[in-house]
Formats: sequence, structure tokens, C-alpha cells
Amino acid sequence: MLTGFFSRKNTPASQSIGDAEYTVLDTELTGLDLKKDSIVSIGAVRMQGARIDIGASFYRLINPANGMDLTSVLIHGITPSEVEQKPSIDDVLDELSVFCGSSVVVGHFVSLDINFINKELKRTGRKNMKNAAVDTCKIYEWIKSNEGSFSRHYSARRDALDLFSLAREYNISFDEGHNALSDAFITAQLFQRFLSSLPGSGVKSIRDLLKIGKA
Amino acid sequence: MILEEAISFLKKNPPFQLLDEPVLKDVAHSLSMEFYPKDTVILKQDGPPSEAVRTIKKGSVKILMKAEGGIDSIIDYRGEGDSFGFVSLIARDKQKTTVIAADDTICYTLGRDKVLKLIESRPAFAEYFMSHLTRYVERTFEEMKGRSLAYSGTDRLLFTTPSGDIAKEVITVPEDTTLQEAAQVMAKQRISSLIVLNKNNVPAGIITDRDLRRVVANARNVTDLVKNIMSISLIRVDANDSCFDAVLKMIKYNIHHMIVIKEGELKGIITNHDLMLLQGTSPLSFVNDIEKQQTIEDLVNVSAKMNTIIGLLLQESTKAGSITGIITEINDRLLKKVIEIAEKKFGQPPVPYCFIVYGSEGRKEQTFKTDQDNAIIYADTQSAGAEEEAEKYFSALAVFIKDSLVQIGFASCRADYMASNPKWRKPLKRWKEYFENWITSPTPEAVLKSLIFFDMRPVHGKFSLCNELGSFYMPLIAKNKIFLGHMANIIVKNSPPIGFLKSFVVEKSGEHKNEFDLKLKGVMPLNDIIRLFSLESGIKLTATLDRIGALKTRHPAVKEYHNELVHAFEFLMMLRMHYQFEQIKERRPPENFINPDQLSNLEKKTIREVFHLISKMQGTVVEMYKPLIV
Repeated sequence: MLTGFFSRKNTPASQSIGDAEYTVLDTELTGLDLKKDSIVSIGAVRMQGARIDIGASFYRLINPANGMDLTSVLIHGITPSEVEQKPSIDDVLDELSVFCGSSVVVGHFVSLDINFINKELKRTGRKNMKNAAVDTCKIYEWIKSNEGSFSRHYSARRDALDLFSLAREYNISFDEGHNALSDAFITAQLFQRFLSSLPGSGVKSIRDLLKIGKA
Repeated sequence: MILEEAISFLKKNPPFQLLDEPVLKDVAHSLSMEFYPKDTVILKQDGPPSEAVRTIKKGSVKILMKAEGGIDSIIDYRGEGDSFGFVSLIARDKQKTTVIAADDTICYTLGRDKVLKLIESRPAFAEYFMSHLTRYVERTFEEMKGRSLAYSGTDRLLFTTPSGDIAKEVITVPEDTTLQEAAQVMAKQRISSLIVLNKNNVPAGIITDRDLRRVVANARNVTDLVKNIMSISLIRVDANDSCFDAVLKMIKYNIHHMIVIKEGELKGIITNHDLMLLQGTSPLSFVNDIEKQQTIEDLVNVSAKMNTIIGLLLQESTKAGSITGIITEINDRLLKKVIEIAEKKFGQPPVPYCFIVYGSEGRKEQTFKTDQDNAIIYADTQSAGAEEEAEKYFSALAVFIKDSLVQIGFASCRADYMASNPKWRKPLKRWKEYFENWITSPTPEAVLKSLIFFDMRPVHGKFSLCNELGSFYMPLIAKNKIFLGHMANIIVKNSPPIGFLKSFVVEKSGEHKNEFDLKLKGVMPLNDIIRLFSLESGIKLTATLDRIGALKTRHPAVKEYHNELVHAFEFLMMLRMHYQFEQIKERRPPENFINPDQLSNLEKKTIREVFHLISKMQGTVVEMYKPLIV
């Protein structure tokens, strides 16, 4: 049956962050209301330690059960007609589960994505996803606070925590526009930057990583 | 979109751009993307071999090698679109260089298995990697440095020597020889391989040191037969193929022994070691070729190979200084040979003389065939009649030399700076007058024209005549600061082509629109500055790099920027040579104009730094000669 994130063992907490496997994911939603809104698309890329697999990406458009809010169409640019022919969320979640396996899930404000995924899982009588999950925004904030007094200008920029502002700060090139896969790719590159500097700040294992960035 | 981005990147960059679409897609699928913060050590010399080929998507890396004394020297930079890591990947040997991220760097990484598969299945792809590999094959920096240019004797070119010429006699054993017997033969003959013959006396396989190591490692019985452990695939090379081809095959198949076949028969065997010995020698076999020639016509034929040799040197070598050194060596030999032939034709000179060269030839900085800059200094004569006689002799000699050199491919000098011009064919006392005149009553015009003479160097004849001239004018310079002031003015007026906002200043119209002159704006100002400093300090050396070396302890500006000056000069010369070589390959005459748009980001960055350094040095010159600057 399901071999993905519901059943398999999680990444051991003692594993080095440079060796662990990660799934960096992002979803586009019809809106932010967990009760009313639903997932329109899911994008994800895999990482082997700090290496992003170019060939292993996941992108599915979903036919939302609740129909689409027209204002959200403006944000993600996915129109109702585009998703009508697409598979239902149930099928997509099965595939996503296989894609994630037992890897550590990574995302920018990823709790939101996970909440929506779990809501759908629950609706179909399944258990929540068990994967360890870290939030790149939290890691970013930790890194900044860890740099502490050395970067006083940080407080002035505190409001800009969205993915694109961070991407700009880290010199990651991207095309504007909200697409779950391209956003996941940007997030992966951001996470890649973090992975290169974290061991120097004492964050070496998955346990350490969860301490500073657990979603 | 991630994949599409990778594919469009691969399409733009060799060797991937040589692959067709479906293969490219497949490659992109296997890629991963890595990030290295600035200063990350990506590969370490003597560390484990690289497990992937990395292609730089963004950023740059520097490649270092340990020189004598264990100090790392930068031997190369790679920028966007360049790859690294394939040498040790293929050789499965220790990593030969250290690779460090020079900027924050993003790489696309292709794993070893995939690379090997591509090399096997795509000849063009393999070709590309092989041509790169040869640059680094078993070569170390120490070797390069330790290798004297004057080394000669039996050395020959890797590229031109047929592999049959260095093949060693093969020792063969029948296939039912035991391992122990085979090892005994190898030990006795002091060889590292045996060819195994089958019942029909046809070579069936090879056993090598490596195979015997495996035997020991696996505790195999020494009474086992060689036919059971020999390598069956006998990689062979034709006796007429060059050693270069043999090296390529060895790398390709990861073997150290290869049999040489001549007309279908087993001719011999060559080993990795033989090739290394060969490669350890210089292009001076070419020089030996020159020595053997008796006529100008023969020299023309020999020298036709010159550009090809420089091209190969460029592919092989990393230092502009060693390449120009070799070119100078070869050109000097050609010139000497021409003069010898001339002397045979016109008989012994009535008075001793010295044939000198100056300009780039004098500085030993010739690249591809340049024009002639030479002169004759002959010994002072006792009578007017004797001088007339000498003039008659040297006139004929000089004209013959000039015409011969033209035939060989050295164009005559447009400004007529040649011994064939009576003005530059004079007894020593006249030369002293020339220099005295330039130095003690300088005019801007005359100083500009005289500059190249201060890089003069004897090539043939009585060197003491040239040295005496040098000893004559050096003290004069010290007493005549105004002369140096004129030189300073020339330097200051030639500003680097970097405009406001750091953009390049290029030609606005004409044949070289949007280009700038690398020689006029880069090489020349550096030559001029270093020449000025050297004359100031009484240094008699002529080569710019030698002068920089000598100035290091004597001149404050050079002391401070010594390394920068050396790198700047090396970089400009290398860039110029690579450009000119491309032009020659396209059958265009080599020239010095470069379009900055055609430079890689790394080259642009470096050249900006070079120009910045030149301005800084010009600033120093202004500071020192302030009262004399007009």
C-alpha cells in the first residue's frame, strides 16, 4: 500500500545535515483559510544533502474540491479550466508521499503547506504526514539572531521575510511569479546556502536543525 | 522549468553542446546542483579523485598546484560555463590539483558513471574531454619549473614522435606460463608487463604489474597460468601514430601499457613511463631540426611548423612566460642559423661584430611570428677605408639576412628597424653617439623612437660589443633625469581603456569598432613602466618578467605590487596569445584587437584589475617625475 511519508521510518535525528535527504516543497492554495480553501498545485524538489537533484522534481496541478476563489487566480495564475482535467488531491497525495519517502521536508513557512496537506489526508481518513519538517524562514531568523550584534541593520529589515526578499539577499536568481515548483526550487537554493554555513555555527545534525528550524 | 533551465545551460556550453537533444535531456536529469561559498576547497590535491564533473553555472574557481617547497600556485581560473574535475575522475588517481571557489559558486554536477557512459557512447564528447585531459596528464609544476629550456640532446616532441620510435622490445611468454614464472621473467628483465602468446604465437593478452598485485591481494596460487589472469583486450596503437595519440588512448582506457603494431605485426610495447619521459622534454627537438638544416629553403620548411607548435604549447602550458621563452629560444636558433648560412656565403667578417635584437624580440616576449627588429654593432675600425670595407661586407650580409628572415616568415619591419638599414649597422663608436644623443639631449620624438633599443640583446657574434654599449649608456642615464622624464611622459599619456563607471573604452568606428588594442593598451604600458623603473635602477635585464623580478628588492612600487605585476603581465600575454592563435587557426593574420564582449566574465574582471594596476603604476610615475611631466 502506501510506502511514503505515512509508513516509513523518519530520518534519524543523529544524521549529519550534509548527508540527509530532503524534500523541499511548496503549494499554491486557493486562499489562506484552512477551513474553506484548498490546494491548487504542489511542487517539490529533492536534495541529497546540499545537492539539489535537477532531474527529480515533482509538480502536480490539482482539481480543488471546493472550486476556486477568483482572487487567488490572480496570484498563482492557475485558472479553473486548467485544473478541471487534473487528478484529484487524493491521487496526488499518494504520489507526493512516495516522492517524499522518509526525507526531511523543507519549505518556506512550510507549516501552512503541511496543515493543508494534513487536512486533505484527514478528510480521506488517513494519518498526518510524519516527516520531520523544517522552515527556511525560521532557520533564516535563527542565523540572523545568531550573528547577533554583528548585524545591527537586521532589525531594520525584519519585515522582509518573504521568499523573494530572502532570495535577493542571498543572490539567488529567479523569475518572479508564483509557481509551486519554481518557488520550491528557490527555497531549495536558499536552504542550500543555509546548509553550507550552518555546520560552522554548530548546527550539524538533523537534531540540531530541528532545534532551530522545526516547522 | 528546473530541467529546462539546466538544458538550456548545457546547450550553451561545451562539451555538452555537442550532444543531441534526447541525450542532453537525459544528462540534465542526472545533474545535481551544488553551492560553494567563496573559499570552499572543492577538490584537494593528493586527495581522493573527483567523483563528478562540475560545470560552473555561476561564479568561478581557481586551480592550484603545489610548486617546489609545497607552496600552492594558481595555475588556472575557470569561469561560468567551464568544467573541472575530469582528470582525476577518469584517471581514478589522486586528485592532481586543488580547486577552490573564487566566488560564491554554483555548479551543475554530473556523476562519474554518467560521465563515463557519455565518453563511451559519444565520440565528440570524449574528444573534448581528452583534449583537456592532455593538458594535465602526469604533469607537475615542479617538473615544468625544473625543466631548463636549454635542455637538449635526444629530446623529441610528444606530438610528432611516432609511437613506433619509442616502443620497447616486447617480451612474450606462452599462455601456459605460470604466474610465478612470469613474475620471474619480469623481475629479471626489469619490465612491468609481458605479452602473452597463444598456441599460434599470436598476441592474446597482456599481464602487467597491476595484474600481479591483484594475484597477491587475492592470494591466488602462483602456479596458476597467465592465460587465466591476463587482460584480453589488447589496446593497440599503430607505429605511425604519434605518442600523443597513445597517451589519449591510455587515458581513455585507463591503462598503462599499450602494444604497438607495425604493418600488422607486433612491433613493441610502450608504457606510461616512456611517454612521461618523452613528455618531460621540451619542444627543443624542433630546435635540433633547425640545427640540422643547411639552406634557407630547408629552414622555411622547418619553421612552417612553428605556429602549430605554439598552439600545442598553448594547450599544454599554463605560463605565458615559459611559452614566450620557448618561442624566443626557437626564433633565436632560426636567426642564428640564418646568420651562419649568411656567413658561409659572404665569408668571415673583416671586423668582429655583434648581431643584436631589440623590441619584443629583445625582451624575449615574442608570440606568434612578429616582424624583425635587429641591428649590427661592429668593432671600431682604424681607418676610413677599413670602415668602408666593413660597411660593404655588413651591408650585403644584412640584406641577405633580412630577405631570408622574410622568406621564413618574419615580416620586415615597417619602421625599418633592421640591420639592412645603414642607420642600424654601425661601428660601436657611432652607436655610442646614438645613445649619448638620445640620453643627453632628448626630444619627445627621439625618445619615443629610441625606446625599443633599450631592450636590446645580443644574439650572435661578439657579445662584448653589445655589453660595452650597455655599460656606456647606463651611467649616462643616471646623470640625465630629463631623459627618464621624457619616458615618464610617454607612459602617462597612454591611459588604460577603462572609462567612467568601469566600462571599457573601445574604438568608436573603423575596422576595430567596439574593440580595444590589447598590445597598445595593456602590454605596452606595462613594458614601458617596467623599462623606466629598470633604467632608473641600472638593471640591464631586458625581459619584462626578469626586470620585475630584479626590481622586487630595489623599487618600492614593484616591491609592493610584485605579484600583481607578474600576474597582470602573464595574463595579458596569455590572453593575447590565445586570441592570436584562434585567428591563425581561422587563417587570419594575428592582431591585437579584442572585443570586450567576447571575454568571459572572469577575463573581464581580471583585465579590469590589470588596467587598474596600470593606472596605479602610472600614478607612481607621475608622483616621481612630477616636475618633468608636461
